[in-house]
Amino acid sequence: MIYDMYGNTQEVTPYERMMGSLNGEKTDRVPVNYYPRWAALEYAGVTFKQAWDNPDLYVKAQIQAQERFQYDCIIDYDMMGPVEEAMGAKLKYPENDVPQIAEPLIKTKDDMEKVKWKLDPRKDGNMPKVLYVIRRLKEELLKRGRGTQHVPIMTWGSCPSRTAACLTGFKEWFLIVARDPDWAVELMERALDGWLQMVVAAWEAGVDCVWVNDPVSSRDCISRDHYEKLTQPYQRKFIEAIRRETGMKITFHPCGNWHDRMDLVYQNQADSYFLGPMDIEMCTQKAVETNEKGLSRVTSLNGNVGAATKSTTDGQTAVPYATTMKRGKPEDIEKESKAVIDVVEGADLRCILGTNCWDVKGSSFANRDAMVYAARKYGQYK
Amino acid sequence: MSIIEKIRKNVFDGDENNTVELVKKALDEGKTAKEILDEGLVAGLRDCGSGFEKGEKFIPEMLLSSESMKVAMVVLRPLLLEGSGIGGTGRAVLATVEGDVHDIGLELVGTMLETAGFEVRNMGPDVATEDIVEAVKEDKPHIVGLSALLSNTMDVMPDVIEALADAGLRDSVKVMVGGAPVKQDFADEIGADGWAYDAASAVPKAKELRAQLSD
Repeated sequence: MIYDMYGNTQEVTPYERMMGSLNGEKTDRVPVNYYPRWAALEYAGVTFKQAWDNPDLYVKAQIQAQERFQYDCIIDYDMMGPVEEAMGAKLKYPENDVPQIAEPLIKTKDDMEKVKWKLDPRKDGNMPKVLYVIRRLKEELLKRGRGTQHVPIMTWGSCPSRTAACLTGFKEWFLIVARDPDWAVELMERALDGWLQMVVAAWEAGVDCVWVNDPVSSRDCISRDHYEKLTQPYQRKFIEAIRRETGMKITFHPCGNWHDRMDLVYQNQADSYFLGPMDIEMCTQKAVETNEKGLSRVTSLNGNVGAATKSTTDGQTAVPYATTMKRGKPEDIEKESKAVIDVVEGADLRCILGTNCWDVKGSSFANRDAMVYAARKYGQYK
Repeated sequence: MSIIEKIRKNVFDGDENNTVELVKKALDEGKTAKEILDEGLVAGLRDCGSGFEKGEKFIPEMLLSSESMKVAMVVLRPLLLEGSGIGGTGRAVLATVEGDVHDIGLELVGTMLETAGFEVRNMGPDVATEDIVEAVKEDKPHIVGLSALLSNTMDVMPDVIEALADAGLRDSVKVMVGGAPVKQDFADEIGADGWAYDAASAVPKAKELRAQLSD
């Protein structure tokens, strides 16, 4: 890597940089995508609820924060909720957090009939609001880019296992996995279409890439065997359906610790992986191995500053994972960013710098700046 | 295999129906409720917790073990109360902090503390800080247990501790914190009195802290 902080960064747009990396290509330097929900809201000085109630405010926050922090991807509302709510789930909207399920919709098998499984994202629930935000983001980016979209927009897609868990409640979901795997399969089968339709509609409205996530199939939650037989096939089915319908590049976020199953995770055929609190060296090595065997198509790894060091994965770490962004100093961010870049780019995969899970609420602007600074300093391609 | 060992194994395996039947049988055979609880149910749940730590058991299996224990406790609870088993150790208020909807770990801790003789008020997930303070005023617990699964929400924990101090309640309770991202250094940093790695280790820690309070 050449140390040349400002070299050619003006020649390549964030759009070209981010989409290039998702394609496995080198542009000018490593991009930064830390899933900037809180960066945008905190820079604008508004709560999530205020931005949810006023979509134009959310658009303004996203655009202005990208201009301020200079990261390489922006997001729509990107959250669990709109689809589940349209299916019939009751949500609650905290003042400054994403919505949560207020009460499980499915308590017995009979409740399956209460769910509205077939959705129209243009009409049902709050899904049109999300599509409105995407269209407005696109308009605004084109206007500011004088006709050129200079920053990509990423949307969200919940895996069927997550949607099923949201409908039943997380505890009940795990009990269903243990007691009645056939029901778990039926739930995932029926849950898949809602989020697929939402992602397709988001693509039609103008998003450029998608972030698919699963927080209920990690090593923290279920066994490798349950993952392999029950939920991984539905991750793959969901990812392949998105690719078939939209052709978008897909980033999968294995939320939590997936150390014992990364070989299986990479076989769900996403293009990029937004890593959680996991050993970056191991994750990179597994990606290379599964690619070499022809089992996966990993182009890039996104993450995992704040969670990159081995000491953060032993359960007894001095710095709890994901909190370096919030509790560390800019030099900590810079150091971890360099470590991630060296490991991932050293294996000839594209590195996209990011945090663990998503942009950590309450991080200082200096820490957020430090990641972009590190990408410029250590992530230049020759 | 003795009947107590069978109970222990059935809790470990998460077999609810068999566990209840075996508990009834053990009582018929003259085993005491305390013996069944400590050497059968709690030991089985602890085995499951060890399996969880080693990566051999996971949340579904932990929940099945916990459910087995819960149904067995329906049979044992009246007998334990007679012997002043429950509530005799102390009182605890448990809550997952505001903004965090995860309560599986909290439930396990609640079950374990109850079986250790604590009278437990489990407030569940996503509890507002002021509600926790109110509950402490009402119940006058010895232990306040706070849980968070998310790195975003663990930072609510110091707010709760501060709110307890503002209400003049901090010295009357011991605050324990736990949850996946929470570690000892964080507990120290925010001024909590204790931290436990898992539900099983929460019990000795709670007892240790309880013993430090005079009332």
